Amino acid sequence: MRKLPLSLLKAIGIVAIVAWSILPIALIVLSSFKSDRDIFSPSARFSFMPTLVNYELLWSRWGDFFHGLWNSFLVTLGATLLAVLVSLLAGFAYSRHAGRGLQASAFFLIFVRLFPPIVITLPLFPVVNWLKLNDTHLILILLYATFFVSLGTIVMRTFIDQIPRELDEAAMIDGASQFQIIARVIFPLAAQGMLAVAVFVIVYAWNEFLFAFIFTTTRAKTAPLVVAEMIGAVEGVEWGVLFAASAIQLLPVLAFVILMQKHLVAGLTAGAVKG
Amino acid sequence: MQQRSSLPAFALVSPVQLMVGGIIFLPAIYVFWLSLHQSSFGQAASFVGLANYAKVLGDPYFWRALFNTVIVVAIVVHVELLLGLLMALFFASGIPFRALMLAIVLAPYAVSEVSAVVMWRYLFEPDVGMMSRLLGTIGLPPIEWSVNPSHGLLMVCLLSIWLHLPFSFIILYAARLSVPDELYEAAAIDGATGWTAFRRVTLPLLMPALLIAALFRYIFAFRLFSEVWLMTGGGPARTTEVLAVYLYLEAFRYNSFGAAAATGWLLVLASLLLALFYLRGLYREMFGKHA
Repeated sequence: MRKLPLSLLKAIGIVAIVAWSILPIALIVLSSFKSDRDIFSPSARFSFMPTLVNYELLWSRWGDFFHGLWNSFLVTLGATLLAVLVSLLAGFAYSRHAGRGLQASAFFLIFVRLFPPIVITLPLFPVVNWLKLNDTHLILILLYATFFVSLGTIVMRTFIDQIPRELDEAAMIDGASQFQIIARVIFPLAAQGMLAVAVFVIVYAWNEFLFAFIFTTTRAKTAPLVVAEMIGAVEGVEWGVLFAASAIQLLPVLAFVILMQKHLVAGLTAGAVKG
Repeated sequence: MQQRSSLPAFALVSPVQLMVGGIIFLPAIYVFWLSLHQSSFGQAASFVGLANYAKVLGDPYFWRALFNTVIVVAIVVHVELLLGLLMALFFASGIPFRALMLAIVLAPYAVSEVSAVVMWRYLFEPDVGMMSRLLGTIGLPPIEWSVNPSHGLLMVCLLSIWLHLPFSFIILYAARLSVPDELYEAAAIDGATGWTAFRRVTLPLLMPALLIAALFRYIFAFRLFSEVWLMTGGGPARTTEVLAVYLYLEAFRYNSFGAAAATGWLLVLASLLLALFYLRGLYREMFGKHA
């Protein structure tokens, strides 16, 4: 008797969750294949004649966007490699060594996570200009990696804690140095952790807006910045072209997150529990 | 057995420490120095004491931005935790297609603030957007986010909740999964099911995860910039600014570096204050045994 309403309730819950999470994304992607007159037409919401005209317009008029995608790709790649590498080294040190000085430095890492990013743009802006680093990939790579190494280190340490110490000790007896232990023993076994860190950094670097907005203007301008310009071209937002750009910007990283779901969940829980 | 800390250990942590110290910590300290000086680009700074703070605290736009920030953070974080908790319990109660549903719930995590703004603006475009029509159909007034400040902030809340719900959900769901089933069986034997079991078993055991999720979300929501900047730009007439937007405008539009630095340092202090209990707990956990 009571089973029916319960399963009905569950069905409603599932529909609500799917609609909330996916509908906005699905609408953007669907609408990117609509002609202008279908975009706001309720009758053409889900059934319409698909067209590639928005993508063609994007290609011919917003070359900037594709340049932005390339910049986003380079910056994401650089920030990810840098953050994963230094987090691996530090995570190993915190997992295998102890001592008050080291503890204090671990505390410092977590403490610094509390500083809001916008605050440091004030002093960095003139310095970055002076060093001629404004509008370069390098400055974004450094900033993005830096804002994730605290979390990255905590996550790496949690994962490396699970690798048996006997393995390092055996390597040490064979005369391996710290770096050799990391390269030969830890690196292959900590792949899960490195993937978890990589997922965080990739999603962040690919999507970040604030630093890109302040520190890049033309050469290193990233994709989200170009999309923002398209929104800002208001009093005539070309919705179709904007949808095409948004779809291209979001689909690769969406596919990546779904693929890497397990690592994302593992990283989020490791990062939150410990730090 | 952990080894004593040694030179190699410090060498291994030095890249991370240098990055965090040189790019975040030292600049943040320098912001404090800036906040006590009067300066703008290309001019020598002169010490002005607390004048910048006085200026900021006397600025009605600052108070408006502070008020907006507090309201938005309070709404976003609490709604998010409530929804995240409900969803975690829903998932734990056993649902079909669990893996697929998990992927669906996580999807917004991958979306940039910029694309999210595109989506929600499209849905709520006055008169023609899907949600605007829906509101009209059920007889509710439209959301005029571009002209009505509280509607603009409401859109910002919606957007933030949508973007960050996956985080709160995952933390709470993982915590819920780590509660052993035996506890519920034992509670059931004692006659506690449903609401009682939730209050006596689930809630106390999830409390640490709830507190951690709340803390992280308070701190991160407090930095809110892009959603507001891209949604309303702080307008109309500076009514929807939040603290980060106020700081940005002071520094980069009104060239008032001192005031921006004072705002920045107030932001740092507020973040540290929010995290005080967490930091104290962490400190005790790390150093308590030695002291």
